[in-house]
Amino acid sequence: MEAILKRAAHRVHDSEDEKLLIEQAQTGSREAFEELVRRHDRDILRLAYHMLGNREEAREVYQETFLKAYRSLNRFRFESSFYTWIYRIATNVSLDHLRKRQTLREEISYESDTESHPDRPALKDTLAATTYYSNPERRLYGKEVGERIKEALKTLSEKERLVFELRHYQGLRLKMIGEIMGSTEETAKNYLFRATQKLRAFLTNV
Amino acid sequence: MTCREYQHQISLFLYEELPEDQQPGLESHLQQCDSCRHAFEEEKGLHYVLAEDAAAFDIPSDLLVQSRHELANELDQIERKRPWWRIPTFSVVFTPMRLLESGALIAMGLALGVYVSNQRAVVAPPVAGTTQPESGFTAGLPANGSVSNLRIVSANPSSGQVELAGEIVQPLRFQGSVGDDTVRQLLVNALSDASNSGSRLRAVEILAERANEDTIKNALIQALIYDENSGVRLKAIQGLRPYAAQSEVESAFMHSLQHDVEPGIRIEAIEALTRNSRDAHLAKQLEPFTRDENNVIKMRALQFVGTNQ
Repeated sequence: MEAILKRAAHRVHDSEDEKLLIEQAQTGSREAFEELVRRHDRDILRLAYHMLGNREEAREVYQETFLKAYRSLNRFRFESSFYTWIYRIATNVSLDHLRKRQTLREEISYESDTESHPDRPALKDTLAATTYYSNPERRLYGKEVGERIKEALKTLSEKERLVFELRHYQGLRLKMIGEIMGSTEETAKNYLFRATQKLRAFLTNV
Repeated sequence: MTCREYQHQISLFLYEELPEDQQPGLESHLQQCDSCRHAFEEEKGLHYVLAEDAAAFDIPSDLLVQSRHELANELDQIERKRPWWRIPTFSVVFTPMRLLESGALIAMGLALGVYVSNQRAVVAPPVAGTTQPESGFTAGLPANGSVSNLRIVSANPSSGQVELAGEIVQPLRFQGSVGDDTVRQLLVNALSDASNSGSRLRAVEILAERANEDTIKNALIQALIYDENSGVRLKAIQGLRPYAAQSEVESAFMHSLQHDVEPGIRIEAIEALTRNSRDAHLAKQLEPFTRDENNVIKMRALQFVGTNQ
């Protein structure tokens, strides 16, 4: 219980405390910078791992993101939250990696076998049969559905993938996603809509 | 408004991003339009499937440790290449206070060198049954572990004594049956303490099968209420479902129904509460949810209250 409360307390970042840390980091405090890293790096790594789908690139994005932040911290002017700023760096680095990968025509691999199985029920049926009530079938299909979702995510454009990732998996509000993208909430809404339409179309037609 | 525009709203509605003033218009349209209602149901299904899948997307437990370690090495290299006049200690030596601080830092650095060469780290004894690292200690620090959150507790430049505090993280590998008390305790610890939600998810999956034990049941209740990962909360609720009639479990489900931000969890909660219940008191508690903004919850509450009140 104590540990849970401690974790819950850690989740509440004191913005004043963070401002102080940023100022200390800006004057060269490695300790302050590492504390900032520890506060945000799980989210950044999760974003990178989801976006790129493999460990090696996720590690590269993690390194590039925090090294860029370290080198350009003096240019941070408190015009946005540090969280938004670091996410903006991470999303740009992630998108760069996706672009490089497209250029090289590498296939996205989620380190899993995604071969189709003819005897597996169509996802359309799974979705149609999915009620909001627990049933054993749904659990059995879980892993297979997960594989189909990974395939479906590959059909999204970079920006659609990014907005979907930030909203669905990272739980950020669309307003903040707009800020991270250097765009507007409306633009983020449009990307999210297109992403969900594409996912629904892909998954119900499999 | 066109059906496409309403379908745009459906997407936002399910992410709880549709402004309140636009919700009545959407609900009214859904009652009249079969096509949009079908789209709504399908997208709801998609959300549920995606919510369950979200948990499987978590980062492997060792990836964060490895990434932090690599970043620290990179930062070390950058600092080594940095010219001495740009090192923070020297870059601000123009104020008297900074001069003093710089002097103190140099003294502390010297003292730290003396201390590290003369002291051995104090390491807590291992948990029974755990495997000790193969290699020993070098200069007082574990060769296969790492030190994190290091801070200087006190330093006396004149005596050269420095007190440091931090955490030594060493690899732990333990194998055993889930029937083993130590394994179960480690799993309960992982469920409450693991920073990686993938580990918490695996722990909750195993523990959910043994929710009849009080310690595990309590751990699942805590996870359901406090865990930040919706996949963990979902697995916790599924493990607790057979015990919905027990008061502490019922209270936890009511808490989730009232406060959880994830619609899928709230729906699981009301389903678990009402599945085998004919309780008039519960019907009274669920009465406010007959006006819930979530249609699935509203319908389920209406059905239960209608038959049991």
